[in-house]
Amino acid sequence: MAEMILDASMILIAFAILFGVIRLIKGDTDTDRIIAVDLLTIVSMSVIVLAAHLAERFIYVDVAIVYGLLSFLGVLAVARYLERGL
Amino acid sequence: MLVWMTLLICAGILVSAGLAVTQEKPVSAVIAAGLTSLFASVTYVFLAAPDVAMTEASIGSGLATVIFLYAINRTRKQDVDPDD
Repeated sequence: MAEMILDASMILIAFAILFGVIRLIKGDTDTDRIIAVDLLTIVSMSVIVLAAHLAERFIYVDVAIVYGLLSFLGVLAVARYLERGL
Repeated sequence: MLVWMTLLICAGILVSAGLAVTQEKPVSAVIAAGLTSLFASVTYVFLAAPDVAMTEASIGSGLATVIFLYAINRTRKQDVDPDD
C-alpha cells in the first residue's frame, strides 16, 4: 500500500514539474513566470523529501527546510521588484 | 522510478538554461537562471551531496537572483530608451 502511494505521488510530482516548466516557457508576463518558479520550488521540496525517504537518509529533510526558507526570500525579492523596484 | 525523476529534473535544467539565454527581457532571464540553480540543487541531493545542495540553493537561487535584480534596478534609470 505504501509503495503504491509513493509511486502515485512520484507520478503526480512529475506532472507538476512538467506543467510548471510549460507555464514558465509560455509565461505571458513576469508574474506568471515567478508564480511558476514558486510552484516548482514547492514541488522540488516534495521531491527532496521523497528522496530522503527512498534513500533512508533523513538529513535530506534539513535541506528541504533551508530550501523553503530561502526560496521564499527569492520570490519575495522578485515580487517587490515587479511592484516598485528593489 | 527515481531515475526517471532525475532525468526529468535534468531536462528541466536544460530547458530553463536555454530559456535564460534566449529571453529578451532581463527579469525573465534572471528568473529562469534562478530556476536553473534550483533544479541543479535538487540534482545534488540525488547525488548524495546535501551540503552542496544547501549552498547552491542559498547562493544560486537566493543571493544571485537578488543581486541581479538589484543591478537591473540600479541600471534601469540610466537607460536611453524611454519605452523600456
